[in-house]
Amino acid sequence: MKKNVLRVEGISVSYGPIQALDDVSIEVDEGEIVSLVGANGAGKTSLLRAIMGLQKVHTGRIVFMGNDITNTSTDKVAGSGIGLIPEGHLVFSTMTVLENLQVGGYHYPQEVSSSLESVFESFPVLYKRRNQIAGTLSGGEQQMLSIGRTLMSKPKLLMADEPSLGLAPKVISEIFNILRDLNEKGYPILLAEQNAKKALEFGDHAYVMETGRVLFQGPAKELMGNPKVRHAYLGGNV
Amino acid sequence: MSPVIYYFLSFTAINILMCWAFYLPYRVGQLHHLVVSCMMASAYFSGYAARQWSWPFALTLLVGTAIGMLICLLPSFAIGDAPCFTVVIVGLTVLFIMKTAIENTRALGGTLGFFGIPQVNNLLLLAYLCLAVAGLLIYRIDNSRLGRAASMVFVDRDAASALGVDVKRLGMLFQIIAGGLAGLAGSLYAFLIGSLFPEFFNLGVIGTLMCMLFAGGHSTMWGVVISVPVFEGLHLILPTAVASWLQVIYAVTLIVVILVLPGGLITKKMLVKVGERFRARPQTVSIKGGIKE
Amino acid sequence: MEIFVAQLLNGLSLGSIYVLLVLGFNLMLVVAKIIQFAYPHLVVLSMYVCWGMLKYTNNMFLVVLASIVSCVIVNVAIEPIFRALSKKHGLDINVSFVVSISIALLITDVMSHALNYGFPIAFPTDWVGKSVLNFGLITFSVGQAYALIGGIAAVALFFYLLYRTRQGRVFRALSENSVLASIIGIPVVKTRILSYAIAGLLGGVTAVLFARLLGSASPSLGDFVAMKVVAVSILAGLGNLKGGLVCGLLLGIAESLAMGYLPGSWSNAIAFMMILIIMLIKPEGLFGIQI
Repeated sequence: MKKNVLRVEGISVSYGPIQALDDVSIEVDEGEIVSLVGANGAGKTSLLRAIMGLQKVHTGRIVFMGNDITNTSTDKVAGSGIGLIPEGHLVFSTMTVLENLQVGGYHYPQEVSSSLESVFESFPVLYKRRNQIAGTLSGGEQQMLSIGRTLMSKPKLLMADEPSLGLAPKVISEIFNILRDLNEKGYPILLAEQNAKKALEFGDHAYVMETGRVLFQGPAKELMGNPKVRHAYLGGNV
Repeated sequence: MSPVIYYFLSFTAINILMCWAFYLPYRVGQLHHLVVSCMMASAYFSGYAARQWSWPFALTLLVGTAIGMLICLLPSFAIGDAPCFTVVIVGLTVLFIMKTAIENTRALGGTLGFFGIPQVNNLLLLAYLCLAVAGLLIYRIDNSRLGRAASMVFVDRDAASALGVDVKRLGMLFQIIAGGLAGLAGSLYAFLIGSLFPEFFNLGVIGTLMCMLFAGGHSTMWGVVISVPVFEGLHLILPTAVASWLQVIYAVTLIVVILVLPGGLITKKMLVKVGERFRARPQTVSIKGGIKE
Repeated sequence: MEIFVAQLLNGLSLGSIYVLLVLGFNLMLVVAKIIQFAYPHLVVLSMYVCWGMLKYTNNMFLVVLASIVSCVIVNVAIEPIFRALSKKHGLDINVSFVVSISIALLITDVMSHALNYGFPIAFPTDWVGKSVLNFGLITFSVGQAYALIGGIAAVALFFYLLYRTRQGRVFRALSENSVLASIIGIPVVKTRILSYAIAGLLGGVTAVLFARLLGSASPSLGDFVAMKVVAVSILAGLGNLKGGLVCGLLLGIAESLAMGYLPGSWSNAIAFMMILIIMLIKPEGLFGIQI
């Protein structure tokens, strides 16, 4: 039996009168890749934001490593070990690559140098560009920096929000390879991805979301074979 | 009429005018402190013209208003669409420059003050007449396409200009009208009070006016009509020991109001609700032949 | 030529005071996203604290400590007002401006009512000190030397803190994108409070240097300095720290040169005239807004 890392129990979120999430429950187990699939506006980002404490949760509970983190402030959620790789390869664009990584290790000031070493090991390109201003990196490099910065905070769970958005196909597969490697190193990953095919191939377990609800869930391979899912998200005859 | 009531009524009229002068540019998100300079210039001009040149009241009032508009016209070419903080600093610097100039001008009484402005019959009545005319003007502007454009600019400047609002011209127009209102207020101030002191026109006046505007509600012109008499009345009722701390009271009120009642006492929403209650039901429009798909 | 050199030195020492004030002001602007118009008023309040302390003790260390502690306490005490404000209005800079102007009025009114009966205060003559350099009629006093040297040291420390330390990186990260900063685990509220504290610390030091430079203070000093500080910060581009450095020094020099060649009672008006002209030519500032 695998240990449970993150458990979301029936949460609802609304932006004013608009219901963004309605009774959503998901689980992420140790060493697992969980994919959230759904069109734009299905609630994937809202779910990640709610877990992160960026969005107020009205009902339901979010439990991380056995602790209730519902409506905890974002910095505490991050400090407790959830690392979000935000949408749109966000970096601190006026700071250097090195500074971006250093600031990522806010909660572990003593271990910054050792974490830096391991990040530079996995991303040699970041080492090469360590003194460059982050805003001048290419999109793919910024995404790597964003991932590296998240790793600096020693997360126990990685959440990636649309990591492929706005990147070239070749770079996308590179980013997915990086995420795969990280998973093999032991990081559980919660991935929100619009590209259903990619997400289902990549994940062990998947949730299909639509208009703030979970429609289908199950092992990713099974969902791939589900005719309804195939019809709605994989363009019928894939 | 007892002097207390006379001063209450005079200051109420002047402050409502000045609050409206603040209100108009704030419709497009600018705190136009320059209007206090307009008021000061116009007050000193009116006083001087009436005493030294014996100008008639009506002419002085007109020229005073024109001076206010002129003072706002020239900088408005540069700051018509400037960000709020730039407009504030321009206003404050002009005020201090003007104050220094007047303090160093012997003919205007310097720091000692300017006295002996001739009295005018039925002045209070005339002042409230001016107030009514100014109110009508602002009401017309508020309910025209200019007012609607201003509301749009207040919410989102870029969106408004993308929709074809000329933000700069709108800002200039409001600034100039505000200058005119302040000029009028200054002229009336000179005649109503009869003496002028440069120390009166300082940051304190700006704080007082901002407090009155924000407490009354900065989204409609009616808020100040209620808040100004209340604050002026408060001024009279409070014992002298407390009243000397009036600036502190204004400052604290302003902070509390902004924190607790962000829209002020009277908001646009409230007016809309009141309007709906009094207005007749909208007529149902019938289209001959129904609506074709 | 002698007058020119002397006024240049005067201008540098005055300018370094402006630079310190603009730095503290800009730190709160970029980290907490507020326009703290009342910041110079707090510094003037701390000058009053120095003056009060000097009545009881001549110990320089104690006076500086009192100045710093008072400035930090008052500045941090103001923070909850702005935090409540940003909860109610979002990060609306204009509203923070209105609130800070009323705080400024409050401080000014307290100073003009309750402290020294509203009269200007004068620091002891040895506080300003004798002149160390003489240029004919114009002298360079110990106080000015302190202002210049202390100013340079404080600015250097400030930039070291901001660009070379862990806390400085956190400030810069928060100023660039507060949501991203919280996502990577930076405690936003705590960091904001810290920025107020550091601005207060800077303000306390500035108060001592300013007192030694001027030798006097009055309730209205805060208004004059606040307008110059905000103006410099706008000219430099709101939140632009390095621009503030340049513009603050330039204002100090320009003001001193104008004072050296023009009649005295107009000196503030001349400074404001320069500010006004540049502001009308460049309403968005010279180096671009960075917030």
